[in-house]
Amino acid sequence: MEAKRTPAINLDFAAATPVCQSALSAMMPYFSEKYYNPSAPYWPAKEVRDEYEAAKARLAQSIGAKAADLVVCSGATEANNLAFTLVPEGTRVLILSTEHDAVRAPAGQCDFEEIKVDKNGVILLEDFRAKLSDRVSLVSISLANNEIGTIQPMAEIAEIIREERLKRAKIGNNLPIFLHSDASQALTLIDVSVARLGVDMMTLNSAKIYGPKGVGALFATPEAMKKLKPVVRGGGQENNLRSGTENVPLLIGFATAAVEAKEHLFSARKKYAELTTLLAQKLAENRIAPQFLGNNKTRLVNFLPISYPGLDAERLIYKLEENGVLISTGAACAARKGEKSRTLTAIGLSDKEIAGSLRISLGATNTKEEILRAAELINAAVNEEHERIYG
Amino acid sequence: MDKTVYLGMSGGVDSSVSALLLKEQGYKVVGVYMKNWSKDLPGAHCPWAEDLADAKRVAVKLNIDFFVMDFEKEYKEQVVDYMLAEFKAGRTPNPDVVCNELIKFKLFYERAREAGADFIATGHYAKSENGHLYRAKDENKDQTYFLYRMSEEALSRTLFPLAELLKPEVKEIAAKNGFLNAYKKESMGVCFVGEVGMKEFLREYIDARPGEIVEKETGEVLGAHDGAIFYTLGQRHGLYVGGGLPYYVVNKDLEKNIVYVSKNLNHEGLWTKEVRLSNLLAREEIPENVEVRMRHRAELISAKFENSCLYFKEPIRRPAAGQSAVLYDGKLCLGGGIIE
Repeated sequence: MEAKRTPAINLDFAAATPVCQSALSAMMPYFSEKYYNPSAPYWPAKEVRDEYEAAKARLAQSIGAKAADLVVCSGATEANNLAFTLVPEGTRVLILSTEHDAVRAPAGQCDFEEIKVDKNGVILLEDFRAKLSDRVSLVSISLANNEIGTIQPMAEIAEIIREERLKRAKIGNNLPIFLHSDASQALTLIDVSVARLGVDMMTLNSAKIYGPKGVGALFATPEAMKKLKPVVRGGGQENNLRSGTENVPLLIGFATAAVEAKEHLFSARKKYAELTTLLAQKLAENRIAPQFLGNNKTRLVNFLPISYPGLDAERLIYKLEENGVLISTGAACAARKGEKSRTLTAIGLSDKEIAGSLRISLGATNTKEEILRAAELINAAVNEEHERIYG
Repeated sequence: MDKTVYLGMSGGVDSSVSALLLKEQGYKVVGVYMKNWSKDLPGAHCPWAEDLADAKRVAVKLNIDFFVMDFEKEYKEQVVDYMLAEFKAGRTPNPDVVCNELIKFKLFYERAREAGADFIATGHYAKSENGHLYRAKDENKDQTYFLYRMSEEALSRTLFPLAELLKPEVKEIAAKNGFLNAYKKESMGVCFVGEVGMKEFLREYIDARPGEIVEKETGEVLGAHDGAIFYTLGQRHGLYVGGGLPYYVVNKDLEKNIVYVSKNLNHEGLWTKEVRLSNLLAREEIPENVEVRMRHRAELISAKFENSCLYFKEPIRRPAAGQSAVLYDGKLCLGGGIIE
């Protein structure tokens, strides 16, 4: 038996999103009456195969790709690990200094170097150029940061890589170079057409876009796809890169959520812009106002990273949880391990600013009333903590 | 001005309720999580970060100050290394006794005093009154067995808010106040060793060699053990020599790495009428007639005490060397020593 809790106002959608109604309904039949193994030889299984492939095509289409360009897997972490399998031995990988562990850990298996960011978390292109040596085979840069929401200028990064390719062709260096981007956080808020972004590989994550957890995909161009190595071996599914019976219901849910997200891109952006502006304004009006981190022109519009230097953000989180507001510091997985935020360190914040920082990320179910109520509760918690420490 | 109490908070229900009670009594309470251990072991996750979060959550709920004191280095050197040395010497030490003596009621006490504490407090079931240590009202949960070595100075400035409460009452207070840890398991010394078992813990640090299990009376080899140090006198389980009546460990030869067992529950190795103590710590003047407890929650046995030796009228099951014998006169804890 646990103590009863009132329904909470969630301001941490960067950690998890609820499955949207359309995805939930779309998935349901595939748990029961359409449970067949897509590889089985009889007609009902063949139907399931067709529906799986059609869903995969819809998912691919939502990023301007074809079904054959996708490897469906268990989520973003696995997709990132798969992307790193194309790195030849003796070559180098570049990642951003603000990358999540799901990029950093696979990079750690290779010789890797970090590219610096500016105070808003945006890549320093001159540092990137300087580190882009002739041995670099993979550049992996998340499209949007998971802690402060910074969006990277992916097309510009892709352009620099295109120049590097030309240069290599000229001097007869035949080491291929690929650009990978983890777009987990971005799919519901920015147009992630792979051609426009210029990426060779992109990680997609259902769990952050109102699809079910436990499913994701790696997009790869045919050139990149050829170089990937299997992470799970077995029956040869997913282009022989990710064996195991297809998880039909999850993929169907994922595809439905992706299509829906794309349809609502503009209305969602408008809504979040209004709500984050309102929230920022209410927090700024308080006796103890936060420091706003990053730059709202270069970040996902549902993010509002703030800091109360001199206060302990963890205490604020517990206090707010008590009053029914869910907020996080940094990435949920790093927070659990009690680690200091890498992103916030990388953008040059002081220990005090980091200790007082909160990650606010809005989601589809947030309403204006919720935001006003949450602002009141945050302000009250901040004032109470300030009172306790400074009298 | 309100008196300041530094309270050790483990994230468990006992220290959480202690925080609440102290606050209600008008103290300025400062919660402290003592970080003694954080390393995971094969097959066992050390939940220190979760415990810390639970403790902090309660502190925030009560709007009290809270911080972490890091004793990992001292805990390893003073508690774990002692424990390993004892096991290597063939004894069965009690790390909680040492932890309380050297970490909680010494290091923590000193740091808290330096930081301006008038008192320290813990969620132990025990009673402190006028510099004397008494068993708690809840006889079933009493923890004075683990506390008998705490210094007099620390005791004179220690509050045990649970002294007069029963565990079910403590749980009820926790539930009533919405402490989410009300139903959590209790913490102990190297708290997760309970989960993996001491054997797995020791295996990480001590290079144990397999050897023979030999029947004492016949000299017959009954089976193999995976390290004599893992076995405690009187132990009945985990021998894997199966069949018929159970075997008991009656002796072990560390040099030859042999564990001797017997089916005979009356074997002389299992019984004794006297127990010699070392490292005696007398909290009080110890009278000739005492009651003694030789394991946490074991029954109290009457004994005569003379020259660091306990004498029993009837033979008792021989206690394991390295454990503590704690002496009482009624509820009053007289002190105790390490069983030789």
